[in-house]
Amino acid sequence: MKRHLLVLVILLSILVVPLTGDQSASVEAQDQVTIRWWHIQTNPDQAAFWEKVANDYMAMHPNVTIDITVLENEAFKQRIVTNMQAGDPPDLFQSWGGGPLWQFADAGLLRDISDELEGEWRDSFSAQSAVEMFGQDGEYYGVPWSWGAVVMWYNKELFEQAGLDPENPPATWEEFLEVVQALKDAGITPIALGEGDKWPGHFWWVYLAIRCGGEEAFLAAYTREGSFDDEAFVCAGERLVELIELEPFQEGFLGLGYGDEAAAFGDGLAAMELMGHWAPGAHAENSESGGAAIEGKVGIFAFPTWDGAHDGLLGGGDGFVIGKNAPDETVDFLRYITSAEVQREAAKIWVIPVIAEAEDAIEDELLRQVLQIRNEATYAQMYYDQFLPPAVGQAVLDAVEGLFAEQYSPEEAAQIIEDEASFELD
Amino acid sequence: MARILPRPKVLASEPYFEPRSIDWVKILTIILFLAPGFIIMFTILYIPVIQSFEYSQYRWNGLGPLERYVGWENYERLYDTTQYRHARLFREATKHTFILMALSLTIQLPFAMLLALLVGRGNFRGKKLFRTIYFVPYVFSDPITAILWIYSLHPSGLVNTILESIIPDYQKIIWLGSVENPSIALYAIFAVLTWKYFGFYMILYMAALQNVPKDLEDAARLDGANEFNVLRKITLPLVGPTIRLTIYLSILGSLQQFVIIWIMTEGGPVGHTEVLGTFLYKYGIDGLRLGFGSAIAVVIFCMSLVFSIGYQWMVLRQDYRSLQAQ
Amino acid sequence: MTTTVSSLPPNIREETAYGRYVLNGFRYGFLFIVTFIMLAPVLLAFLGAIRTSSEFQARPFDIPRRGIQWHNFTEILEDSNFWLMFKNSLYITIGATVLTVLVSSLLGYIFARVEFRGRGLLFNVVTLGLLFPFVIAILPIFIQIRKLGLLNSYWGVILPLVAFSIPGSTLILRGFFRAIPYELEEAAYIDGCTVFGFFYRILLPMARPAVTAIAVLQAIAAWNDYFLALLILTDESKWTLPLGLMQFQGQYGTTNWSGIMAYVTILMIPAILFYMVTERYIVTGLTGGELKG
Repeated sequence: MKRHLLVLVILLSILVVPLTGDQSASVEAQDQVTIRWWHIQTNPDQAAFWEKVANDYMAMHPNVTIDITVLENEAFKQRIVTNMQAGDPPDLFQSWGGGPLWQFADAGLLRDISDELEGEWRDSFSAQSAVEMFGQDGEYYGVPWSWGAVVMWYNKELFEQAGLDPENPPATWEEFLEVVQALKDAGITPIALGEGDKWPGHFWWVYLAIRCGGEEAFLAAYTREGSFDDEAFVCAGERLVELIELEPFQEGFLGLGYGDEAAAFGDGLAAMELMGHWAPGAHAENSESGGAAIEGKVGIFAFPTWDGAHDGLLGGGDGFVIGKNAPDETVDFLRYITSAEVQREAAKIWVIPVIAEAEDAIEDELLRQVLQIRNEATYAQMYYDQFLPPAVGQAVLDAVEGLFAEQYSPEEAAQIIEDEASFELD
Repeated sequence: MARILPRPKVLASEPYFEPRSIDWVKILTIILFLAPGFIIMFTILYIPVIQSFEYSQYRWNGLGPLERYVGWENYERLYDTTQYRHARLFREATKHTFILMALSLTIQLPFAMLLALLVGRGNFRGKKLFRTIYFVPYVFSDPITAILWIYSLHPSGLVNTILESIIPDYQKIIWLGSVENPSIALYAIFAVLTWKYFGFYMILYMAALQNVPKDLEDAARLDGANEFNVLRKITLPLVGPTIRLTIYLSILGSLQQFVIIWIMTEGGPVGHTEVLGTFLYKYGIDGLRLGFGSAIAVVIFCMSLVFSIGYQWMVLRQDYRSLQAQ
Repeated sequence: MTTTVSSLPPNIREETAYGRYVLNGFRYGFLFIVTFIMLAPVLLAFLGAIRTSSEFQARPFDIPRRGIQWHNFTEILEDSNFWLMFKNSLYITIGATVLTVLVSSLLGYIFARVEFRGRGLLFNVVTLGLLFPFVIAILPIFIQIRKLGLLNSYWGVILPLVAFSIPGSTLILRGFFRAIPYELEEAAYIDGCTVFGFFYRILLPMARPAVTAIAVLQAIAAWNDYFLALLILTDESKWTLPLGLMQFQGQYGTTNWSGIMAYVTILMIPAILFYMVTERYIVTGLTGGELKG
């Protein structure tokens, strides 16, 4: 019987030791700080780059330890909500700015860095409107580190196979639909889409909403002077249905995720993709060929337009924001990330710099084109699912998914968004 | 230590030990033995669930304090389908939950019974092996199950490959995201759930079948009853209590389905596999609406409570009785 | 069935023999088909894990033609994170199992062997917990764990796991404890045994199959838990294996199919081994408690 007690005691001690063992971590020299950093660059090159940035910084500041967690995009979105609920934000983490960020800020979970930002740092940004996405009412919680645009990517080789001129991509919506039909006739999947994740498809609808109603329609709906079931948003759905009716997407696109989308384009199995400036990295990372299948064959063009359509760019990018419990050194590290030195290095790989000084460092021809499109835009619309409050963003994603699945009419889709908006935005 | 305490007087059924005065030792023992369990149950389960009723009266994103009292609004958003999208989605999610439930009762359980009869009765080679294999998926975690089947149901995955090789002119089926026939995803999910859980029910049935007296069945055979009638008139009624129990477990299980569906489809395509669990997670937790989420939880909880009490009272009570009489 | 055949009249005996022949043919055919369906996804994982991703994508079901890709396994097993998560899973499993056994055997003992006013009521209070579907209670529990400051700690996962298994485990143990003869208890007390002594030295050992059964079932539940860990363990260094699997799948879902299959295989192996060792306890636990059919 004694032996049983002994086993019990051993079991308990195994348990108790690790359960309480955590305190040791906090007993450190006072000036030693650890920055917990979450980013979503799972692409090996990009992840390695951030690691190098962290190592360089740690070498310069021996008292700082940077603890990196790399999370896949969808996992990150789930995780960050949980950590915020726990009142335990990471010190430095990925953000796209806008509504969700402000919600965290309102709850006092973020650190206001407006004092540090003011002046030289702030002036170094070329994309000032992008900085605005990370602040409200004069408070700023972070800064962008890459700011690009959503554009059409296309595979020139597949265009050629379908008898299309690879150097002359479609400019109007009508031409675009013809190109889709031509590709389909040639037995090529015209468009890669991973609607299982929902946000890739919402780019299509938002772009069409920009073309149909421009900045005015969105601002009116957002400020509740207009609404999301206004003509412009129904029009977006109608245009999208024109495309969907051609069945241009790869097999099973409703159930596949963004990774599958990037893989389809990256392996040369689909001819076009509507995606942000990060697309090449995703092509390389997700495709079986590692991007070799489309090496040198990719081009970009601006989202098609039509007579009487509005100009405008669907844009956005990545930023890092700072959690409420972050050590002061985090702000300095963030400043380092957006310094000309790091930005120039990053621009060589995949980043579209946010500071003017680094813009000429872009080596990739495609990224240079994206930068040009970004800088020429008269109006840049942030992704709806990031700009709007989370619940409305979710309704947009649901509604557009319904369009792709041919479950909702354009009017119904617009109505779904308006229902949610009327509730959240009043 | 054993000798220090006074002679115990906690025996269950011994009137001659019964003292007239209050037996403090017995009371203390009871309290000490019950305390850990009750403390855990109340702090972790009961009190929070009761509190969720309070949260459900607020609009609350879970980040700040409870401030915006909205009364019954969160419940109206679940009920009023003419006004609220969430009410329509909730109704769809309820419908899908009930479809899964109905399929479980009409297909999964009879299938488990069939296999319990085939594996459990008679002596034949490999009997134990079959039982072991059928039960194996039960010990896999939900992520393992979901991932195995995501790759099996992939458009160019295992299932389509096999069907292609055995059915001539097979038209590839997009199991989890078909535009033409999106509701097929729910049936695919049901198949996965059956794969995982029928072994569990089969084991319960096998245990029950073992206790059916052979003489009764043989007597019926002697009277000229065929096997089907023996099964219907003798065997199944005798395992009735177990069948009724599995119906209960299966219904509660259907109400709880979440992780496998969430990983495989997140309720998609377009809500065609949305069930109560995924609805709660998506619109309550992920959408940062903990007040609304609490209202969903309260409603689902009331549904299972009503069902559970009703079923126990009307159906299971007799089985408890006969058990106690034994 | 075999023993009774000879005692039956000849005509029935023939029918039965013939029926048995047909039945066995049908039985084996059907059972093998079901076996194939049960094992196909498991085999798929294994065949995926030992081949390259492109082999796997081209033909889900095939033998390795470019050699066995052991590196799919070693890459995972050499990752220190994997072993960290393994350790976390182990702590949570042991903690939840030990606590469940302790707490519910105490409850089961009182409800089975000690009579007092209000016992029925208190027992109902405990079994009420059976009605709380996990996914529904998860939100209130999450809020509560946060209030208790247990987020990101092992206890934050262990306590809810225990709370969820107390009702069922208590029910099973109560059934077993009740079946132990009262004479034994009397004799023990006459020999000067204390209440705790009787409980610990006589009752628990005698109910060992049931105690082992609830321990095994709880160990499986704790080892497999994904949802609680997902919400409560926010710090990567506390993650458990199911979380690790999902993170791996999210990261390599479209490229490294073989890696994922290797991960799945690695996680399936201990589950299968554990199951083979404890099968009879699982069966006891599921079928031998209060609600024996």
